[in-house]
Amino acid sequence: MSKKLSLCVMFLLLLFATQSFAEQVVKIGALYPMSGRGGLYGKDSEIAIKIALDEVHKKGLPKGIKLDVIITDDQSKPDYAVSVAKRYITEEKVKFLFGVVSSAVALAVTEVSKNNKIIFVGTDHAATDLTAQKFQPYYFRVSNNTYQSMMAGAMYLKEMGGWKKIAYIGPDYAYGRDQWMELKYALDKLGVTYEVVGEYWPKLYEPDYTSYITAIINAKPDILVAGFWGGDTVAFIKQAKAYGLFSKMKYFHPDAGGNYEVMAALGKEMPEGLIMSARHHVNWPDTPENKAFVEKFYKQAGRYPSYAAEGAYAGIHLIAEAIRKVGNADDTEALVKAMEGMKLRLPEDPKGFTSYIDPKTHQIVQVQAIGVTEKNKKYPPAEVMLGKFKVYDANKLWPDFDYIEYLKKTKK
Amino acid sequence: MDISFLLSQLIGGLSTAMLLFLVSSGLSLIFGVGKVFNFAHGSFYLLGSYLAYQFINMFTNFWVGVVCATIGAGIFGMVMEFLFLRRIYGRQDEGGFQILLTYSFILIIDDMVKFIWGSEYKTIEKPEILIDQVQIGSIFIPKYSLFILIVGLLIAISFWFILNKTETGKIVKATAIDRDMLGLLGINVPLVMTTVFGVATAMGGLSGALAAPLRTVTPGAGIEVIIDSLIVIVLGGLGNFWGALLGSIIIGEVLAFGILWVPQWASLLNFLVMVLVLIFKPEGLFPQKKGGRV
Repeated sequence: MSKKLSLCVMFLLLLFATQSFAEQVVKIGALYPMSGRGGLYGKDSEIAIKIALDEVHKKGLPKGIKLDVIITDDQSKPDYAVSVAKRYITEEKVKFLFGVVSSAVALAVTEVSKNNKIIFVGTDHAATDLTAQKFQPYYFRVSNNTYQSMMAGAMYLKEMGGWKKIAYIGPDYAYGRDQWMELKYALDKLGVTYEVVGEYWPKLYEPDYTSYITAIINAKPDILVAGFWGGDTVAFIKQAKAYGLFSKMKYFHPDAGGNYEVMAALGKEMPEGLIMSARHHVNWPDTPENKAFVEKFYKQAGRYPSYAAEGAYAGIHLIAEAIRKVGNADDTEALVKAMEGMKLRLPEDPKGFTSYIDPKTHQIVQVQAIGVTEKNKKYPPAEVMLGKFKVYDANKLWPDFDYIEYLKKTKK
Repeated sequence: MDISFLLSQLIGGLSTAMLLFLVSSGLSLIFGVGKVFNFAHGSFYLLGSYLAYQFINMFTNFWVGVVCATIGAGIFGMVMEFLFLRRIYGRQDEGGFQILLTYSFILIIDDMVKFIWGSEYKTIEKPEILIDQVQIGSIFIPKYSLFILIVGLLIAISFWFILNKTETGKIVKATAIDRDMLGLLGINVPLVMTTVFGVATAMGGLSGALAAPLRTVTPGAGIEVIIDSLIVIVLGGLGNFWGALLGSIIIGEVLAFGILWVPQWASLLNFLVMVLVLIFKPEGLFPQKKGGRV
């Protein structure tokens, strides 16, 4: 009996061993903030990664390849993220670096990717620099950069007309400063004339905007452009509403104002008539792909996704498609070539357009949809969502080599 | 620049100051009395916000929610003091232990909050009667900001009264001077310490609950408010209650007027003020007297 049993065990062990030989596991080293303010984006990316992995493995990869994503909390700290990325490469033998919400972290990790010739797929951070003057051949980004948002924003402002005086408020670091520089560059490029009546730079995560709000109201701009993200948008809108700011000027927030998590946090407190956008909308475009993605996420998480989820989802599909095209995950140079120009049908693509990776800058090229807040209770706890979307042609937004040249001259 | 605008900027600065005072007063109190530097004080602010979110939803009443959140944060603080902090009093290098221990509570409370309530932002609505604004001349002030101003002042006055005019206050102040002697006189010093710690953390909880309708309820918010509170209590003089109030007003107003004249550097000005105070009056504007004034 015991002999039979041990034979059985041997047989089973052999079976597992052959299976694991047949399965090649390709490791992807992901870095996301999993704690603090950015924790929500890390969590949402993790859920979206699972959804994408299920889809990828269901369809199958060549040579029985399976993708294994390891996620580590990057604590939104560049130096710490660099040490994790290096450990991923030397100890975990990852084939890809992945993720990252903070642009400061991404700018540090892209150096690791360059020095080690390991592909880094950026899913969330938006600093234009990464696909412009800081471009390196092993870096790819699957969410739009701030220049794309701001160029679309400038087009919107030009079409809208009827305004002259403009003011800006944004967090006092690269993300906030770049957006303003880019919007002004884009407005100038489009030949729009305007008068800047105020620039305000609260620190990131500023809890109290009261004094900024009273100063903005006094400056009397026709349009207030905002460059906040996440919780800062929520706090600013709550406080500005109490002062009646939104009835005194138009509020324009084209990169991250319309993030779903902001709508969800503000509920019925979100004012109507604000002009905003986001890198992904749960209610636009009305395509089967977007609906399926949002539904799958809802099923897993019990809530609707923040914009970060779609970037992570896109990143996994980019890697999977490249492996399918090359036939293996070992030839990095071939994978880079495969990713260049690759088309990816994504949830945020409207009918008739497919996102693609610009071969020269490795930046994904996508349409931008800017909407206006209006009542919509289909996605609780949000009670106000974006609607009346205006859509901007992806090819007019990126690549803009004049701007890249401008960046090379003005920034190092 | 017209006068009504300057006045509205002044009031804006005051309302910023009052919330700052509510947070830092608890920090200052526990330092003044117990010489405990509670680095996790901001986490009680965070806990207060989440407890308020929970209780307001549970009772569908803002006021009950805020009171429960304040008490809840206080109870949590007392438990923390009783089970952990008490064990390091009187040790050599107590200060280092305090920072390590209370810092660990920042991480614990942050993760606890994420574990219980999730990482998505939460929101608390203002109570119906405080939603709109009042008009004074040509200035509009949100009612909620006025309410915070009044609460802040009431708290400052009641603390002054309790500490200076009551028997309990005298005992608390005596704790700051000589714990051993107080023990010899038959006062239960550990109980006083736990209670004061509870009151201080309840203040943190109250400030979090009251700030929640104006701010974002999110993990990580605790560590952010502690920085400004630290500037305030360094300015005011460590452990001095009135110093905390003055420090808050200075910080609020420096920011409010800094935005007008040097918008590019406004958020740096607070640190500049702190540096100047540390250079010219390193003990703070209201240093704690030998007598242990709180």
